[in-house]
Amino acid sequence: MLSLQHISKYYQTGGNKAYVLNDLSLDIDQGEFVSIMGPSGSGKSTLLNIIGMLDEPTNGYHYFMEQPVHQLKEKQRSALYKQYIGFVFQAYHLIDELTVYENIETPLIYQNIKGAERKALVADMLDRFNIVGKKDLFPAQLSGGQQQLVGIARALIGKPKLLLADEPTGNLNSKQGEEIMELFSKINKEDGVTIIQVTHSEKNAEYGSRIINLLDGRIESTTTL
Amino acid sequence: MIKNYFKTAWRSLWKHRVVSFINIGGLAVGMAAAVLIFMWVQNEFNFDGYHQNAANIYRIKNHLSIDKRTTWIWENSSYRMGEEASRQIPEVEKVTRIRPLNYAPTYFKINGEFFPEKDVALIDSSWFDVFDYEFVSGGPEAFNSEPFSLILTESKAKKYFGNKEAVGQIIHIDTLDYKVQGVIKDIPANSSFTFDVLAPIASRRANPKEKENEMQWGNFYYITFLKLNPRSNTKKVAKKIETITAKARETNNLAISLTPLKDLHFESGLQNTALRQGNKKAIVVFGALGVFLLVIACINYVNITTARASLRAKEVSIKKIVGAGRGTLFMQFVAESMVISLFALIFTVIIISASLPWFNSFTGRNFTLDPGNISLLTVVLGTLFFAVVLNSIYPALLLSSFKPLNTFRGISVLKLNDATLRKALVVVQFSFSILLIVGVITIYRQMSFIRSQNPGYNRSQVLSFGLPFRRFFRTITDEQRASTTQSIKNDLKALNMVTNVSLMAMSSIQNNDGQSSGGLDWDGREKDFDPAMAYFQVDADYMKIVKMQLKEGRWFDEGRKFDRKNAILNEAAVKELNLHKPYIGQRLVSRGDTGQVIGVVKDFNFKSLHEKIGPAIIKLDDYYSTDYLIQVAPGKQAEAIKGIQKVWDKYCPGDPFNYTFLDQEFDNMYKEDAKVSGLMSVFAIVAIIISCLGLFGLAAFTAEQRGKEIGIRKVLGASVSGIVTLLSKDFIYLVLISLVLSSPLAWWLMNKWLQNFAYRAELQWWMFATAGIIAVLIAFCTISFQAVKAAIVNPVKRLRSE
Repeated sequence: MLSLQHISKYYQTGGNKAYVLNDLSLDIDQGEFVSIMGPSGSGKSTLLNIIGMLDEPTNGYHYFMEQPVHQLKEKQRSALYKQYIGFVFQAYHLIDELTVYENIETPLIYQNIKGAERKALVADMLDRFNIVGKKDLFPAQLSGGQQQLVGIARALIGKPKLLLADEPTGNLNSKQGEEIMELFSKINKEDGVTIIQVTHSEKNAEYGSRIINLLDGRIESTTTL
Repeated sequence: MIKNYFKTAWRSLWKHRVVSFINIGGLAVGMAAAVLIFMWVQNEFNFDGYHQNAANIYRIKNHLSIDKRTTWIWENSSYRMGEEASRQIPEVEKVTRIRPLNYAPTYFKINGEFFPEKDVALIDSSWFDVFDYEFVSGGPEAFNSEPFSLILTESKAKKYFGNKEAVGQIIHIDTLDYKVQGVIKDIPANSSFTFDVLAPIASRRANPKEKENEMQWGNFYYITFLKLNPRSNTKKVAKKIETITAKARETNNLAISLTPLKDLHFESGLQNTALRQGNKKAIVVFGALGVFLLVIACINYVNITTARASLRAKEVSIKKIVGAGRGTLFMQFVAESMVISLFALIFTVIIISASLPWFNSFTGRNFTLDPGNISLLTVVLGTLFFAVVLNSIYPALLLSSFKPLNTFRGISVLKLNDATLRKALVVVQFSFSILLIVGVITIYRQMSFIRSQNPGYNRSQVLSFGLPFRRFFRTITDEQRASTTQSIKNDLKALNMVTNVSLMAMSSIQNNDGQSSGGLDWDGREKDFDPAMAYFQVDADYMKIVKMQLKEGRWFDEGRKFDRKNAILNEAAVKELNLHKPYIGQRLVSRGDTGQVIGVVKDFNFKSLHEKIGPAIIKLDDYYSTDYLIQVAPGKQAEAIKGIQKVWDKYCPGDPFNYTFLDQEFDNMYKEDAKVSGLMSVFAIVAIIISCLGLFGLAAFTAEQRGKEIGIRKVLGASVSGIVTLLSKDFIYLVLISLVLSSPLAWWLMNKWLQNFAYRAELQWWMFATAGIIAVLIAFCTISFQAVKAAIVNPVKRLRSE
């Protein structure tokens, strides 16, 4: 599904190149649940952003769903990620002005899906995540765990093939974190959604099928569980 | 999708209520001011266009050359001119005339009570064939069928007859009964003809003496309009009229031109006009002012929106990641500015309807907020559109351009040039405000200069009135008149509240239009030099009241018989005639009298200070004086007027007594200027309020943005005043830059305005300094409110929330 070959990303600082990613290659198959770990500054988030096409590598080859991403134009790339990829953030990044219902609905609006169909899809999602009673609340009225649930619901509403999560439990307490991880497992197994998550927690990493350890922009080790 | 735009827009407005209020309030005030101005401007540029034949109607304009240097341009023509034009010139389809009587009030007598009516005119029977009026009742046929008919406007009919049917009612004017034959809709705000009361010319011509007088080619009483064949050459028609007139008058000192109806409103160069005219320069200036006010109101919105961009950045970025294209985001911000503008529009309408009566009295027009009025709708919607465009383009472009990752990484979305642009816009706002402040200072200074300027004569406690023309002319001999006016004078003098009485032959000594040309002769005159002079025909007591300063010679002496033929000149006249020294005793022929110059008075302002003091000649008059100048004892005004009224009733029973104090008349001369200065100050205040609202918003934002910095500085020991300075400094710089930028422009503009006055209070550097200080003070007060608020917050609170 996804193939990165000889990906590098560096910043020019003075005469030196500061590498964030250094000649990194990685393949991920459909249905995998990958956890990326590593100390701060090892390039985890950059790698995730490059996979999500929010960021571009300095050089290297990037294939996603059989398409050469490194050759695509900005517009085509964004069309590609809009269709296949969902994002979950550490800080949830819900829109404060919108209710739970409307936050989940937003991606559908931008995909020009008709009102009646949107209603049905959102209702399904609310039902599935057990947040029907909260649908008219604003993000500020929810706990962190609840906000992250909404964030995941929003990421899934567009039926993505790939879910990217950047420290999804980083702002949550351990109980809430556990619930989110259980949910990820379920989504991965039942819906067949490929998941790539960045995490600091060993425990959460173990929910995945493969753990990749990064150090200084390179893959240090890979553990398959 | 659209619903979603507006929903988000509304919530974002509600969440940031203070900012929204500043945005909406500022925009509403600016839009209201702009709409009012545009309404006026639009009206001014569409004068008389509503007449169906407007494109083919022309007014005859007479250029009468007086001597080599002077040409008088009149809007009035002789009656015969129109008659002959229609008879002899095939291009002329119709001729119609009007004789405005609005130089003095006409008195209506209804049920024994007098009502002065100013806007009265006599019209031809063909008037309604050429011009369009909407009749509410009655019609032109009945009006034309009898000479003593009247047409009233709806509001006049209502004033006199209430809800009763006005048609058929009788109104007495002088000794005659006029019958109301028609009621027309009120005169539109864009008509040159402001006449609320119309009577047939035939009513005047019913008097054979009057008719004979009017039929003379040399008497120019009628504004004459021609309706021409659409294919006519107007120059040729004018030439033909000229030829006809020259033949009839046996001189060719009269040139004719034709002015299209639509150009009447801004016509210049006329000696005077009875029609409603506009000042094109003032309209252009105020139009620009309107645009400016709107722009600075929009600047607020743009500034506050872009300043808050970083707060919106997260929302924009998320939307982009979940799939929003730049186009949809752009539309969202346009929708937001539309919502703001629509809200502002509601307040605009409220502000306009509240200020409309005031605005009408200022402009002397009758504007209404009628939703069916197409031109009004155009103005309002045009303004709204303009505001939306100004408000949306830049902020929407900026806000929709964020790169999502940068925002999450915390890289500032505010590039340097946005901040610079914002500063530049603040400078624009304040430059404009300072310009207006300088304008207000200049205008007020000029107005008080006018008031304090010594006019060269005394005008306090002096009133004047004139005897009724009808009673004292036509019907009695010159000797009878002279003896009656003398006995009135004696009776007035006998009143103990009256200090002095003078009898004269002119209705105003402050605004003497009585220019008269020719007939002057003196030693050393060039052969064809025939200068025009202002004539003052007075009696010997005149000097006791007006107390002019004699530079040379003496005043008239009642006892000297020859003083009847002698004359006194002002300094300007001495110069104009180029008299040789000694002036006193020089031979001077004036109005047929050969006499001497017996005195020279210091120049005095017998016209407004807009005009240079012209040459004037003062003479004694015996037979034609029917105007009185009366000095009243201080503090006895009311009693004096009662006494004078008694004298009046004795000699003119049944006629209305009408007087003016010189002070009042003086103020009336500068009414237009007072209006301009009033309007200017209002708009200056509006501009300052809007600019300060913007500054308030920006300061609030800065304080919020730098909250952490303020907290840290306080922990490190900064004082409140230190922090206030820190936050205010940048803004004060901006205001100072505005001062530097706007001063040259203000200097240039105000100098231009002052050129309108022959006598003026010149610009001074301190006026600019004052404007600057005012602007800085206002700005500082606005900013420091926010700065102090930010400075006194407990730093711990600030730092914890970070």
